[in-house]
Amino acid sequence: MKLIAIIDDDPDILDASSLVLKSKGYSVITANNPNDGYKIVKEKKPDLIILDVMMDEPDDGFFLAQKFRKEKIMTPILMYTSVSKAIGLDFGKSEMVPVDDFVEKPISPDELVHKVENLLHKFEEKR
Amino acid sequence: METKKAKILIVDDEKGLRFGTQRLLEDEGYDVETAENGEQGIKLGTSNDFDVAVIDLKMPDIDGLDVLKEIKSSHPNTVCFIATAYASYDTAIQSTRLGAFGYIPKPFSPEEFIYQVELGVKQRELILDTQRLKREREESLLEIANEKSRLNTIIKSISDGVLVVNKVGEVAYFNYAALKYLNIPELKIGDEILNSLPKKIVDLVNKILESEKILLKTFSTQIDFQPVQELVIEAACTPVPHVDGSLAGVVIVLSNITQFKKIEQIKSQFVSMVAHELKTPLAAVQGFINIMLDPSIRIDKEKEKDYLSRSVARLKGLTDLVNDLLDISRMELQTKQREIEDIDIRKVIQNTSQFLEIELKKKEISCEINTEENLPTIKADLNEITRLITNLLSNAIKYNKENGKIYIDASVGKNYLSIKIKDTGVGMKPEEKAKLFNEFYRAKNEKTRGISGTGLGLTIVKRIVDSYHGKIDVDSEYGMGTTFTITLPINTN
Repeated sequence: MKLIAIIDDDPDILDASSLVLKSKGYSVITANNPNDGYKIVKEKKPDLIILDVMMDEPDDGFFLAQKFRKEKIMTPILMYTSVSKAIGLDFGKSEMVPVDDFVEKPISPDELVHKVENLLHKFEEKR
Repeated sequence: METKKAKILIVDDEKGLRFGTQRLLEDEGYDVETAENGEQGIKLGTSNDFDVAVIDLKMPDIDGLDVLKEIKSSHPNTVCFIATAYASYDTAIQSTRLGAFGYIPKPFSPEEFIYQVELGVKQRELILDTQRLKREREESLLEIANEKSRLNTIIKSISDGVLVVNKVGEVAYFNYAALKYLNIPELKIGDEILNSLPKKIVDLVNKILESEKILLKTFSTQIDFQPVQELVIEAACTPVPHVDGSLAGVVIVLSNITQFKKIEQIKSQFVSMVAHELKTPLAAVQGFINIMLDPSIRIDKEKEKDYLSRSVARLKGLTDLVNDLLDISRMELQTKQREIEDIDIRKVIQNTSQFLEIELKKKEISCEINTEENLPTIKADLNEITRLITNLLSNAIKYNKENGKIYIDASVGKNYLSIKIKDTGVGMKPEEKAKLFNEFYRAKNEKTRGISGTGLGLTIVKRIVDSYHGKIDVDSEYGMGTTFTITLPINTN
């Protein structure tokens, strides 16, 4: 059973996302701030990380992703975005944003599951 | 001649001729004076401005040429004739040299005489006209010169930069503000300028200079010198036509729009913050609904009820946010007229704490109100003051501990009223305190999780306090509690 870590400061989003993924048979661990998020990833070594871009600060998600990569934690990261694109913080996958895919909020269960499956699949092939 | 009668002076020692010519000229409508000798002639001719003088050459006392000389030197515009029976080439030359207009040989017929005088009067008109025109021209030249220097002074002293470039890209005019904005230390009229201008301006200037017909419009561009210099300039380039309509050059007006840009930036930051704050709860609600609608995800009745009530809570938060935003916008636009009345702050505090009683009971918080006797009233809008106390008190409840305490004190100072609201809640870290009054700022730490709010409550409080020229102070210790102190001036009038 694959383990997925969800890091988001909105408890409702955490709850909804957990439920969707659990219903598809994944195990889920959650954290509602960047510090706890870092801890659960280090300790539980999930197969995939779902990370919200905006937590306490508008770029907390980016910093956490960069921190993981610096420490050679290469777990695939799916990033939740909300209005960042609309306000000009247009970003794609890059060194500054070392994530593997994006999901725009509000989250549709189908899209979320589809992207999670894809990423896990790709990652397994690489290994 | 309708206007003024021409004034004629006859200087002749021969009585018959004096009377004869006088009558003759008066019949023609002239105003005539006569002198019977040279001395009298000089006296009359120098003390009056005659149009025409007819002077006899040979007189017993003073020679006609001397009379001519005297009159001419004091009234150079009097047209003088020399009349003589001893006409000679020499005297003709001499009299002309002395300024005589003509020579009337004696004896003369009345027609001949009148004809000569008429010529003289015409000459006089001509002289006066020429003089008037000359004076007018000089006056208008002076005016133009004044106007030019005035305009020059005005353009030199305005804060916008003005730079005029001719058809070949040379400086035709500039003011000092232009040099300042373009960071050009020195400039002379005629200098080749295009190479020292920012490319964006040069492109516009060339566009105007190279176009086939005159484009009667202004092209503008913005030049951002940041971060080197905190300066944003708008350059407006407009063609300058010659009188005949052909292109003379381009005038570039440079305006400092740095402040405008800053406001624009603040506005767009605010808009993106609002967008984020609006979208976050919507995303949560939509997430719940998506799950409930998804046939592949099964949830039980209890979970569904939980999701629905959480959705309702998020939507209520959204409504609160929109209401707060509307309040802020109303305050800014000042669309709502204030209703200033005498307000008893004790009543407002009591009413507000009663209004929030349910919230107080939920967390078992006790509220202690201490107000001085004989507090003066303040002149303010009741809604705004109520809003002020409500926001602070509801924060004191929200960020308090279970079984916490709230102390509300109201006291009077020399010319101000002081309201203190103290809680025993989560308190703030120093860095959180600094951002407290920023729009949408909410202290986020392990102790504040689960507390909902719009992030606009204190922004509104601060705006209300500021609008009454009051002051708000915050004292807080993380984990111990926060005290807000508001001072509002008392209107003693």
